[in-house]
Amino acid sequence: MSNVEKRLQRLLAMVPWIVAQDGPTLAEVAERFQLTEKELVKDLEDVLWLCGIHPFSPGDLVEVDIVDGRVWIRVAPYFSRPLRLTPAEALGLLGAARIAMAGKDTDPTLTRAVAKLSAALGIDADEVLEIEMVAADAQVLQALEDSVALRRVVDLHYYSYGRDSWQGRQVEPHRVFNSKGAWYTWAWCRKVDDWRLFRVDRARTATPTEEFFEPREVPPVPDLVGAAPSGARVVLELSPEAHWASQEYPVESVRAGADGWSRVTFGVAEKAWLERLLLILGPEARVLEGDPEVGREAAQRVLGRYR
Amino acid sequence: MNRLERLINLLAALIDTERPLAREEIKERIEGYPDRDESFRRQFERDKDTLRSMGVPIAVEAISVSEPHLGTGYRVRRAEYELPDPNLDPEETAALHLAASSVRFLDEGARAAVLKLGGVTGVSNLPEPDVEVPGGEHLEALFAAISENRAAAFTYQGEARQTIPERLAFRNGHWYLSAWDEIRAGERVFRLDRVSGQVTPGEIAKPPEGAAAPRQSALPPWEFGDAEPVEARLWIDAAQADLAARQAGPRVGVAKNDDGSAVLTLAVRNPAGFRNFALGFLDHAEVLSPAELREDITSWLEGVAR
Repeated sequence: MSNVEKRLQRLLAMVPWIVAQDGPTLAEVAERFQLTEKELVKDLEDVLWLCGIHPFSPGDLVEVDIVDGRVWIRVAPYFSRPLRLTPAEALGLLGAARIAMAGKDTDPTLTRAVAKLSAALGIDADEVLEIEMVAADAQVLQALEDSVALRRVVDLHYYSYGRDSWQGRQVEPHRVFNSKGAWYTWAWCRKVDDWRLFRVDRARTATPTEEFFEPREVPPVPDLVGAAPSGARVVLELSPEAHWASQEYPVESVRAGADGWSRVTFGVAEKAWLERLLLILGPEARVLEGDPEVGREAAQRVLGRYR
Repeated sequence: MNRLERLINLLAALIDTERPLAREEIKERIEGYPDRDESFRRQFERDKDTLRSMGVPIAVEAISVSEPHLGTGYRVRRAEYELPDPNLDPEETAALHLAASSVRFLDEGARAAVLKLGGVTGVSNLPEPDVEVPGGEHLEALFAAISENRAAAFTYQGEARQTIPERLAFRNGHWYLSAWDEIRAGERVFRLDRVSGQVTPGEIAKPPEGAAAPRQSALPPWEFGDAEPVEARLWIDAAQADLAARQAGPRVGVAKNDDGSAVLTLAVRNPAGFRNFALGFLDHAEVLSPAELREDITSWLEGVAR
């Protein structure tokens, strides 16, 4: 959006609001509409002043009065209400509200606001936007959030997806956040003396201890999908049926083949992760580089249950 | 006269007028347009595009129905231009603003929307956003179609689809559209990242009486499909029983055994989706019944074990 468009967009929101008030202060208008007082006075006095409609007789013009730091605008009805919301604006606001409501306990004021806005826009947000978060244990989530705030060391009983085992870990949680529908905590893990990302829904319990930790400098959270973990690699040839896997899991490179099969290099964090990938892809994937025994052994192990 | 003033005057004139204004009238009434007809037309087109891109509904209509020789003109109807007042109190606007600030999702749009609602004051110490949901390429176009009750056409996995969009859902990191599929005459669910090309809005349309888009939360991968559901029983060992029950969701029956293991009962319409779910538990899970799903999983695994 160009500068002119931004200013116009702001003016069309701001003018009706000022018109409806009785002389708000310049400071308040500037705060509400996110501009400096200098920019505000420029937009009001240099631009809006003398705007109006044909034949530009006094009643047709926008009148702006700035007295003692307060502003009054009188204008014919054409700018008495703001411009309606665009789809991107309505979706941005209602979507954010629905996401916030799906994440945690909902503030009743927000629920009321969404209902009123939905009614005014003629869009039933509850019906039209559905947000589903991965269910995390509310107590575990709360315990982690409190521990971030209080800097308490936490005993985490955690299922490691990569190792396929339950583990006890002592961690210093520095952040709790939700990305793409799942809750995570970014914590210093005392077991490995390094930063680790834990999925909150894979924790059975989180028990704050009596010990407090010294906050550390927090490194950036690694990309959740997109960046492959450093370390081992496996190169698979995927049939067109299995191509979705290259969009779902961290990959290092994808090369399309002539026959519709693609060569995909995956970063492998842990063995159990690779086992699952190979079992789920089944005959739709061929191992080009890496240990072909991993998939074979895992398949035999699972088949053992059925025999 | 700068361009910003010209745009304001143009918009005021288009809203204020009782009948569509001809291009020549606009040239006469709005200051700041060049005299030469060609340059005027070019600049007027540009102004119109700018206003439309901001969402101003500029209608092109016959200037007079009884005198068609007068041609067409332009106007903006106030009822279509104005944001209806939702009558939010300051706390409610602040709650919306706080929600928009705590969530990373189409931030530009949310910010502009809050300004149109009058903005907020006294919000210096906002927390860092702790929830992030990605937008998607077709999200806005489909949301626009839903809010305007319009049909929408797009290409899905290489096939042309004519739909009446009903609901957008975010689940497991992806956006989905539930819509009435006009060609297949049924409710369908589409994953947005598999929609290719453009979403083309169509006529005002409503799904047939009685049609209801299924909620996404009611549609785990094994229920994704048209086939008749088959009841499947999946055994999970004690180590993973709780995780599996949570992952499977509220619609799945869970019977706990004394040793901590559990049997999940699932309605399977999509055997591949069911197989993926079961294999995610490696040797912590076993399909108990029916025989054909047991057979499906063992023959699949034999293909890997070979």
